[in-house]
Amino acid sequence: MRYHGEEALGLIETIGMVPAVEAADKMLKASNVEIVAYENIGSTLVTVMIKGDVAAVKAAVEAGATAASTIGKLTAQHVMPRPIENIGHIVSIYDIDNK
Amino acid sequence: MNNYKALGLIETFGIVFVLEAADAMCKAADVDLIGFENVASGYISVLVRGDVGACKAAVESGIRAVKEMGSEVYSSLVIPSPHHDIEKIISRYSLETLNP
Repeated sequence: MRYHGEEALGLIETIGMVPAVEAADKMLKASNVEIVAYENIGSTLVTVMIKGDVAAVKAAVEAGATAASTIGKLTAQHVMPRPIENIGHIVSIYDIDNK
Repeated sequence: MNNYKALGLIETFGIVFVLEAADAMCKAADVDLIGFENVASGYISVLVRGDVGACKAAVESGIRAVKEMGSEVYSSLVIPSPHHDIEKIISRYSLETLNP
């Protein structure tokens, strides 16, 4: 899903893909957010990026972080309420619909 | 592929243990092996799909098989009803995609 930075961006990074998939599932179910990107960054780090309203993204990242740290290791969680447009261009490199 | 089927995942160390886990999972219950991912640095995962009960039994057997070989399972998971968009992630790891 192409992301242009006009909505809040939520990020979760875990060690291994199983916690990342769990976080992605919990985030999508927790509130009205959409998955933008999913990437195996390397060195066991896997990142999931979502977009939506600031409040929805905050709730989703909270739920995702809790879920991921329950079954594995969470390395980072973050909410960017209003990123600049170029952040959108970076995120879109990992666009989930692109492969 | 049916989106409403449960999903079972196991993540362990190295291809040897992953193949053993995948074999044990598919022999233990009525699940299909749908995918595989080499995460990096020896972290490798396998994904199976089937009924919730079958996935739970499969994941348990997979964990046991890996432990019997003397290795460690980093994480395991059963998602009874995965969100529709999770399909986008899963399809990347499907054997058809990896092995066209």
